[in-house]
Amino acid sequence: MMRSVFLKTLYDKRWFIFGWTLGFVALSVLMTSFFPAMRQTGALDSLLANMPAALQGLIGNLADLRTFPTYIASQLFDIRIPLIAGVMAIILGLGLSTAEEERGELRTLLSLPISRTRLLVEKWLALCLIMAIGTGGIVLGILGSAPFIDGASIELDTLLPLVAMTWLVMVAYGTVTFAAGFASGSRAVANTLGMLIIIGSFILSTFGKAVDWLADFEKFSLLHYFPAVDIAKGTIDYNNVVVLGTVSLVSLIIAIILFRRRDVA
Amino acid sequence: MDMRTPKTVIQLRHVTKRFGHQAALDNVSFRIHAGEIVGFVGANGAGKTTTISTIMGFIRPTIGTVELFGVTVEPQSAHQLHERIGYAAGDMELPARLTAHQYFSFLLHQSDGDHAELYKDLCRRFKPELHKKIGALSRGNKQKIALIAAFVTDPEVIILDEPTSGLDPMMQEAFLDLVRESKKKGKTIFMSSHYLTEVADVCSRVILMRSGAIIEDVQALKLLEKSGKSVTITTGYKATRPPKDAIDVETVAHKTNVTMTFVFKGSAEELQRWVSSVKQLQDIEISEYNLEGAFKSLYETEDKPS
Repeated sequence: MMRSVFLKTLYDKRWFIFGWTLGFVALSVLMTSFFPAMRQTGALDSLLANMPAALQGLIGNLADLRTFPTYIASQLFDIRIPLIAGVMAIILGLGLSTAEEERGELRTLLSLPISRTRLLVEKWLALCLIMAIGTGGIVLGILGSAPFIDGASIELDTLLPLVAMTWLVMVAYGTVTFAAGFASGSRAVANTLGMLIIIGSFILSTFGKAVDWLADFEKFSLLHYFPAVDIAKGTIDYNNVVVLGTVSLVSLIIAIILFRRRDVA
Repeated sequence: MDMRTPKTVIQLRHVTKRFGHQAALDNVSFRIHAGEIVGFVGANGAGKTTTISTIMGFIRPTIGTVELFGVTVEPQSAHQLHERIGYAAGDMELPARLTAHQYFSFLLHQSDGDHAELYKDLCRRFKPELHKKIGALSRGNKQKIALIAAFVTDPEVIILDEPTSGLDPMMQEAFLDLVRESKKKGKTIFMSSHYLTEVADVCSRVILMRSGAIIEDVQALKLLEKSGKSVTITTGYKATRPPKDAIDVETVAHKTNVTMTFVFKGSAEELQRWVSSVKQLQDIEISEYNLEGAFKSLYETEDKPS
């Protein structure tokens, strides 16, 4: 069972995985169950029309609420999951990097014949798998509850690309925090950088569409590369996959280079 | 090459480590040969743990080099040497969420070879609680696990940083027995300790450190010789004066006699002459001044302004 850092990390994080996956299942079930109410939104149309443009970004396009795939894309994948996944990514990224070093457990691992690169990469692979299990909870929640909800049907061909891109965003978020933690050994640095990217991305993507001076910076948001509604409508831009994948890999490589050489407290 | 020359397994060359402007180690150099049991002694903050951290490759020296088995230790490649090294520290944090059994399973998977028999033997000696979460164990029980982990892969070199802190006297003795047996097997052990009696007990050589620098590197026996004799006399002549080389003199006056205790660093002849000059001598006890005293006197000597 405990053969590698990868397996040990999964074992260490088993309750974290269970809790967050359950949370994603619950959130997905909840959002799916709201669909019948949200698609009959005559009252919301006029309410939204009177809202400031910046606030409209928080709700999304009402036309997207009419079909289940675009509803779930705009309300779950576009707004809620990025925020919640961001929190998860920071907790997990810190937990796998600086928390272990602060407790002194990292030295214990490094006193064994385990290279720093191997340690970091195996932990990162565990992070990727944990994120995949989390997103698996979203699939489970939607597919498990949709048959019981009036009008809620979604093809796997639509759902899986949405979930795969969600996973890529979550891995990018998590990797930035994780990499900052390993590169610097500082919780403050990792936390600040993670928060900056996650909250910054959310603000730029949510308000960038409506606030002129933010629009120019919107492409710096990681969420810019996750157009959930477009994906739900069948448009997949593989450049987005490349950008999100590059963010993760570059962060990981920088972390490896710096962690291999720095002092471990 | 002279085959009688013992192989150097640990070598520090002019190692300085600074944290900001603070020098934790200042030009530290020493070498440890295969088969030596070396005690590493110093007060808190002397630089013992920093030295061990550079040897393990946890931290990089600011200046100088550390070599293990003739290979320069670098953080990025230290793991290649750890196959041949066992390590335990008194403040070592073991994976709290694993049981000891799970931790040993993980640890043994990282090492080549079959160490099942040695593992059983070490468990028999230390009697660890194998099936409780490590995080729920007492300090002493965690330390037993750390010590088993240091020895279980049968490494050539064992590096120990305050290895017995938290252990009860029986387990301390079990540990010292293990060190003695390891010495017979030709293992090299480098251990820092606050318990100087245990250093004197098992170590052939002692390195003393103070303020990041080595102040003494001697054979343990020489250190005891250098430290002098502890002398206690009881005499009816209350005006008795101690010999001129005596230090740490304490005199307690009783109704009919006085008891005087001091440390004497002069020669045996001088001591003999002084004893023969003592009037109304009632009792005398001469013993080796222990390492604690030697350590203290060395530190005090260093503290004196020049």
